[in-house]
Amino acid sequence: MTKMENIAIADQVDQSSHPSSFLSKYIWSQDHKVIAIQYSITAIAVGLVALVLSGMMRLQLGFPNEFSFIDPSSYLQFVTMHGMIMVIYLLTALLLGGFGNYLIPLMIGARDMVFPYLNMLSYWTYLLSVMVLLSSFFVSGGPTGAGWTLYPPQAILSGTPGAHAGILLMLISLAIFIVAFTMGGLNYVSTILQARAKGMTLMRMPLTIWGIFVATILGLLAFPALLVSAIMMIFDKVVGTSFFMPAILSLGETLDHSGGSPILFQHLFWFFGHPEVYIVALPAFGMVSDVIAVHARKNIFGYRMMVWAIVAIGGLSFVVWAHHMYVSGMNPYFGFFFATTTLIIAIPTALKVYNWLLTLWRGNIHLTLPMLFAIGFIFTFTHGGLTGLMLGNVVIDLPLSDTFFVVAHFHMVMGVSPIMVLFAAIYHWFPLLTGRLLNTKLGKFHFWGTFLGTYAIYLPMHYLGFLGVPRRYFAMGTTDFIPESAQTLNAGITVSAIIVGLVQLVFIVNVIWSTFKGKKSGRNPWQATSLEWQTVQFPPGHGNWGKQLPQVYRWAYDYSVPKVKDDFIPQNLSPEEVQYLTSDKNNNQGVK
Amino acid sequence: MQLFKTLQEKPWLPQELEQQTNLFPSVRHKEKAASTALKFFLAMITVIFFLFTVTFLQRTQSFDFQALSGEPWLPFTNSRMLWQNSAYLLIASISIILAKKLAELQSFKGVIISLTATALFTLLFIGGQVQVWQQLNQSGFYIYANPANSYYFLLTGVHALHIVAGVLVFMRCIWHFSLDLSYQRLASSLKLCALYWHFLLFIWLFLFFLLTSDAETFKTIALFCGF
Repeated sequence: MTKMENIAIADQVDQSSHPSSFLSKYIWSQDHKVIAIQYSITAIAVGLVALVLSGMMRLQLGFPNEFSFIDPSSYLQFVTMHGMIMVIYLLTALLLGGFGNYLIPLMIGARDMVFPYLNMLSYWTYLLSVMVLLSSFFVSGGPTGAGWTLYPPQAILSGTPGAHAGILLMLISLAIFIVAFTMGGLNYVSTILQARAKGMTLMRMPLTIWGIFVATILGLLAFPALLVSAIMMIFDKVVGTSFFMPAILSLGETLDHSGGSPILFQHLFWFFGHPEVYIVALPAFGMVSDVIAVHARKNIFGYRMMVWAIVAIGGLSFVVWAHHMYVSGMNPYFGFFFATTTLIIAIPTALKVYNWLLTLWRGNIHLTLPMLFAIGFIFTFTHGGLTGLMLGNVVIDLPLSDTFFVVAHFHMVMGVSPIMVLFAAIYHWFPLLTGRLLNTKLGKFHFWGTFLGTYAIYLPMHYLGFLGVPRRYFAMGTTDFIPESAQTLNAGITVSAIIVGLVQLVFIVNVIWSTFKGKKSGRNPWQATSLEWQTVQFPPGHGNWGKQLPQVYRWAYDYSVPKVKDDFIPQNLSPEEVQYLTSDKNNNQGVK
Repeated sequence: MQLFKTLQEKPWLPQELEQQTNLFPSVRHKEKAASTALKFFLAMITVIFFLFTVTFLQRTQSFDFQALSGEPWLPFTNSRMLWQNSAYLLIASISIILAKKLAELQSFKGVIISLTATALFTLLFIGGQVQVWQQLNQSGFYIYANPANSYYFLLTGVHALHIVAGVLVFMRCIWHFSLDLSYQRLASSLKLCALYWHFLLFIWLFLFFLLTSDAETFKTIALFCGF
């Protein structure tokens, strides 16, 4: 063992050799910041593909049969790929691979992840999974059109689009993604538990890190369910086993399968699928808490409760999965149990919403771009959450299941809301990456376009759901219960969706332009207390902290502390260095 | 419970200096980080096999399930081969502890012998498993013929894949040792490898019991679990 390894990670001086060549610095980099940017660019690029796919779906729904390149099969393929890409390859990858990678070492005062090589491997494996997924667009039969839930038996039977190569590539890509996530996830939890700077106790960590930490544990325990179901479905498809496949006739032909249980797949899928909601939501909860505290110049209300809520939501998220399956014909007592747990999980979630509001209450609110998106998130999340409470009840879910009401609900709660936080986070931390601010005018245009535009999409969609308009249908055909006006509403939603899509281009232009020409931010432009803004070099260089790692003296929320000169005290400022308004330092012990 | 104590801390209150000193994280080494990562990884593997097991137990109660032991013509009524494979994995698991102890004693010869034994018996285990798969195929117990067969191939295959991954990491440790001859580093790596080997041995013994039980045993388990 070398001498270096005998020293605690928090005490180690920087002896790392800094990469010098272009390849080692930007391509095969082991620096968590570069890996984070690689993850983010890949996730956003593949997310744009999914955005275009949703636009195609909306074109068909808004203006049926106007576009010859959209047929029933390709419509289902767009639905499937849009859903899977957005949930797994964009949101999970961007929140944990992108923000997790960038922020964990900087916010806890570490030089890097504890296993940098594994971290690099995680990104390249993720890229491979994305390429395998996208390759399904180019194989015979195209990508799978089984819906993002990939329910058997139809997912692997002839007649479903992409039932041969498409579904296999999807399952293989998911398996590769899980390997990539495991490598990244083990890094995140080990780094948070073992490489924090001196003084950075768990309860002094910013809520962003708490959110990422618990979400990663959820991922490590929930992704196995998806892996297990993917492996078993590959076996059913390729080897001819009957794990999920019952005795079945397909296109008039009796297949060799017998005795398998399609419901079993649903249980496995949702045992992963519901925690996945929180894998996306918890980092977003954490980041929005920090953005709100910084831009309201106030300590986060109820920090301890916020941590408990994150942990409680994480635990409860494993016992609510079957509320996605009320229509599968389950035992009523089973449904009652899952309805109850679903309603219970609303308690810690509501607590978080109240605490964000109470943080804003009488705060010195700065309506900066990150703050606008954070406040926007509180609206969208509350709306999405409340419809979740409705759908959590069996009796309400049964008539609304498989209608646009469900689509509107989950888009508000786990589509729009995390994306509002992602934008808040990008506007907030962009200066840390580039030393420049994003353009405010373009940003405000982006915010209002996105915020109002998404409401224009999803509020009417709830109404369509109440009317009984079914989801996943290529065309409605002639139905008695759906009035003509529903089509007008659908056309309006499509126009809004296209506008929201185009507004995102403004954001991309803003990011590219501001990276090179944006206004210089200076150090710590938001006057934040957390460690990532206190690096010696700004923006932080390789190794993050110069020669010595920082020492932490307080939590991350010392804003507007009475009798202190500045309205924020950085976490690494020792009690002796704090400047007071009065000379009587003894009266100011409360700010240590 | 340390976790509950931690979650009760009030980070906004002023801390006495001594208390602050106590709040500093204890001395943490890279080795400890690897140990943390391994424990989370083992938790993940546990979830994988737990979920497989739950689906398997449910399937044991379906009409077309034919257990692999219990009648004279079934392959695991006499599971001599599997006992032999278990012995290989047990010996590998013991020799890896020996290797760690000998690395601590800095005995070059001892380390080489015990490492070779670990590698050899682990490979024998994998070879033995492959042989069982071949025998099943030759006797007509194809993977698709019955859910019990499907689960046997699936679960032992996933287990074998984990062993192969372990062997790759194990070879990496030996490679590092051949470069720097650091006994301390080898011992700390082997400590983690040993934990992984013991864990996979435990999983194997569990799978052995599960997959070779007869129909009556499955019925009892299913009754007990409420399937």
